[in-house]
Order: sequence, then structure tokens, then C-alpha cells
Amino acid sequence: MLYSIETKSLSKSFGDLNAVDDISFSVDNKEIFGFLGPNGAGKSTTIMILTTLLKPTFGQALVSGFDVVTQPKQVRESIGYVQQESTVDEYLTGRENLLLQARLNHIPKNLIKQRIDEVLELIELSDKQNDAVVTYSGGMRKRLDIAGGLLHRPKVLFLDEPTVGLDIQTRRKIWEYIKKIHKEFDMTIFLTTHYMEEADQLCDRIGIIDCGKIQVIDTPQNMKSAMGNEVISLVIENQNNEKIFLSQLKEIELIKNINEDQNKITLFASKGTEVIPKIFQIASNLNIKIKSISLKQPTLDDVFISYTGHEIRDDDGKFNRKREHAKMKRLRA
Amino acid sequence: MNSLFYDTYTIFWRELKRYKKSRSGVLIRLIQPAIWIIVIGNTFSGTQPLIQSVGFEGQYIEFMAPGVIILTAIFTSIFGGVNTLWDRRYGFMNKALTSPISRSSIALGKMSAISLIAALQASLILGIALAIGVTFPNPIMIAPIMAIVILFSLGFSGISVMIAATAKSQETFWGMINFLGMPLFMLSPALFPLELLPDWLASVAKLNPVTYTVLLVREMMTGVSEGGVPAVLSIAVISVFVLIMVGLASYVFTREVNKPF
Repeated sequence: MLYSIETKSLSKSFGDLNAVDDISFSVDNKEIFGFLGPNGAGKSTTIMILTTLLKPTFGQALVSGFDVVTQPKQVRESIGYVQQESTVDEYLTGRENLLLQARLNHIPKNLIKQRIDEVLELIELSDKQNDAVVTYSGGMRKRLDIAGGLLHRPKVLFLDEPTVGLDIQTRRKIWEYIKKIHKEFDMTIFLTTHYMEEADQLCDRIGIIDCGKIQVIDTPQNMKSAMGNEVISLVIENQNNEKIFLSQLKEIELIKNINEDQNKITLFASKGTEVIPKIFQIASNLNIKIKSISLKQPTLDDVFISYTGHEIRDDDGKFNRKREHAKMKRLRA
Repeated sequence: MNSLFYDTYTIFWRELKRYKKSRSGVLIRLIQPAIWIIVIGNTFSGTQPLIQSVGFEGQYIEFMAPGVIILTAIFTSIFGGVNTLWDRRYGFMNKALTSPISRSSIALGKMSAISLIAALQASLILGIALAIGVTFPNPIMIAPIMAIVILFSLGFSGISVMIAATAKSQETFWGMINFLGMPLFMLSPALFPLELLPDWLASVAKLNPVTYTVLLVREMMTGVSEGGVPAVLSIAVISVFVLIMVGLASYVFTREVNKPF
């Protein structure tokens, strides 16, 4: 088995809406792979195909070497799926929820107790295990959900928007748990998110998906450096020899582009840290006073914009309206 | 096969856990049948001559008590499938569907839990009936009566699960349930003997599995057989009804949950 997940021209349409449009990608064994995109981009539809909940309209998908259409049972045996919304039974205790999950996943009877203890320890809920889930906070529920997906040691773990709706601290905590389980159980993790920071923090590789199509797949690092540049902004005092200053700056090899807006100069450069001393040198030679200077790494936000032409957003009017419409039509049918 | 039993039990266990934790629900579900037996049972006590005309010697309340037990079973079980809709809405269904258990074991687990819950509710109503003075000539009959109630409820839980799997919204579900539940109850000898119905209605009632269940349970409780329907025929009709409903419900459920919700 070469890849943990492999799709070939995978497509899914609802009526005339192509929710997933001809996507092909592969995820290596034991990799954390993230699908990054706005709501309605096709992330959840892809996950639903990979977890055997939806059948693709066209194309093929293999999970852990099994075809999701022709070998759904084998696929289900090798995956864990943690859904976007919490799916634990509120009136059952944490432990009862895990027991249910263990039985659903056919964990041998003699292993159930040990496995439950183990994951409870891992997500630090051992002392709350006999409380009804209704008393848990949002973060604790999410942890319990994730624990449920781990019990049977799946080869591939799907996390659909694992931190949506959680506050910043809780989100960071969940990231720690995800890193911890990845290390501990050595499994492939496929996650979707619309948070740049999350993808950046967790993923070995990211696929940016928008309007049902994959725009780019690469490591977060490569994506950022493919942007080439670091961004240097400086503000100088108004002086006559500004023109000369700019022309001398252009001669610095590492600087690729210069934007000038009155006293504010924006430079796109590689190796910004090496460029800054050179700027100071030129400035002091010309007797130009620099009021402020800053160096900024490009963020994944910048990357996203450069690939999709728009910022990541919660609702892209046109696309979503069409999608909602199709959904309502299905609901009424 | 072995895993079908195990998986069915898993879902059954979960449904019962949820039932046990909703104590207020247990009481709320008792209110309606309790009102039936107390209010209607006493209001219609003057109709005793009508009952006697078909050969029933006891009080009206004794005549209708088995009917209310069946009423409880019908409504508890036909409402019971509604959590299928919640499960689909709140993700438990997807969790179960992406685990290795079979689709039909989800339906079977739900149905068996619903029918046991219906029988528990019915036994509470039986308790109320005994408390307000309904006599029971042969207390040993309580076990087979409960067995019949469980069996019968299994059929109705099948209807419920089937409708819940097909309906995409609560509104559709409750519409369908109300459309089915009341007529099935009224078109049976639960409150009045079939002999008092006009012929055409009586023929319709003869197609209703509720009719046979009421007749059978009443015969077991009071010892009076009516309408010329032998117990064996009633048992046969109920069994066939249950088999068809369970089979149909597993099939429809499996088909429906494979479609996107």
C-alpha cells in the first residue's frame, strides 16, 4: 500500500452543483494532511465520501488501500471519524459514551476496559469519566469525541473541523492533543479546517480547496516561501534625495519589488533579515532618517489569497446560495 | 450473524440507556393512557348494557383496560422512532454508519429497544388499571400478555423507524404518525365491541392487526372470547404483521440512511 488515502478525479455533484469537482490527491502514511478552505468549499463532502457516507458521482477513492465504494466495510474498519459537531450522547457519562463507541467498532471484549482507560488518560478526562456529558464544557466534549475516534486504533483518523466554535485557549489545547495522539498512535490524520493557523500548526501538508477544486497542495513552509518574499515596510522622513534612495535600494539583489506611497516604502524581498542592514547603510550614506522599519513573514492568509484571489470567508455569497438552494431542494424532496 | 446480534444489542443498549436517563419522559408518556383509562373508563361505565349484549359480563372499565394497554403500546412504539431523526441531525447516525456495524442492526436495535420500552409503559398502565379496581382472574397470564405486547410493539416500532428514516423533518414524521396512529386505534375493538360497528367498518377493522391484539389480550385478561376469532388466528396475524414490518423496516431504513440527509 503506497498511500493512506488516494483519490483519482473524485467528483460529487448535487443536481447541477459540483460540490467536489475532479480532485486527485494522495496522503502518505502517518502524515497529517489538512484540507483548508472556506465553508462550502467541498471539504465536508470530500470527508463524507472518504468515510463511506456519500458515494462519489465520478472518480475513485482509496482509504487504507480499500475502495470506498466497493469495499466500504473494510474502509469502516480502518478509519476513525470525528465529526464537526459533537456526537456524544449528553445523558450518558463519558465512560458510557466510550463504551458505546468501543462496541460500535468491535473492539474485543477483553480489551475494552483497558483501551477506554488509556484514551481517558490521554485526553485527561479520567476524573470526569463518570459524569454525564451534559455537564462537560465544549472543549471536554470535543476531547471525548476525539477519544472515541481513537479507541479502535484506526489507521486513518478523520477530523472534520476539530476546533470550530471553540475559544482560542481550548483550540490550542485541542491542537496539543492532536499532536500527542499522532505521536502516540502513529496514525494518518486527515483534517479539514478553515483556520489558517490551525493548518499551519498541525499539518505536514495542506491542500487548499475552493469551489470544489484543489488549488494547490504543499507543505505550509513551501507555500509561504513560494510567495518568495518577506515583506519589509519602512517609513522615512520626507527628504529631497528620496528618489536616489529608491534607485539605490533597487540595486540590492535580494529585493524583488518596491512599492512607494509617499513616505511609506514597502519592499518584497527574500532573506529580509540580510536586507535590513543594507537598507540602513544606504540610508546613512544618503543621510536619510528612517522613522520605523518592520519585517513580516507572509502568512497562510497571504498564501490563500494568492491562490484563490479572495480572502478565506465564512460565506461566499454566490457559491453558498447555490449550495443552500440545492440542500433545501433535497430536504423538501 | 453473530455480529448482527452483537451490533443489534449495542444499539439496543444505547437506546435503553437513553430511556433510563429520561425519567420525566417515562411519566409524561403515562399521562395520556392514564387519562383514557380513568376518564373514559368511568365516563362510559353506563354503556355496560352494550358490552353485555356481546356476551361480556364485567364492568366497562374491565372491557376497555386491555384496549388502553394496547393504546399505550401503540403510541409508545409508534412515537419511539423519532430519535432516528435526532440521530441523523446530530451526527450519531453518521458515527454508527462509519463504524463496521451493519445498517440493519441499527434498525433492529432501535426496534427491539422501542418495543421493550413500550411493554414497560404498558405494564405501568396495567398497574394503574389494577389499582383502580380492574380485576385479573388469572395473574399468571401477565407473562404471556407482556410477551404479546412486546411482539406487537415490535411491529409498530417497525412502522415508526421506517417513517422516521423516510421523513426528512420532524413535521413530516409527526404528520404521518398522527395520520396512522389514531385511526388504527379507533378502528379496533379497543373501546367498543366490533359487533357495534356498521358492517363495512367492521370489515375494515378485521384488516387491522390492532384488532387481533386487542381481542387476544382481552381474552387473556378476562377469559372472555368475542367476535369468533380464535386465539391461534390472532397470534398468527400478529406474527405475520411483525415479521413483515421488521423486514420492511430494516430494508427501508438501510436504503434511506445511505442517502444524504
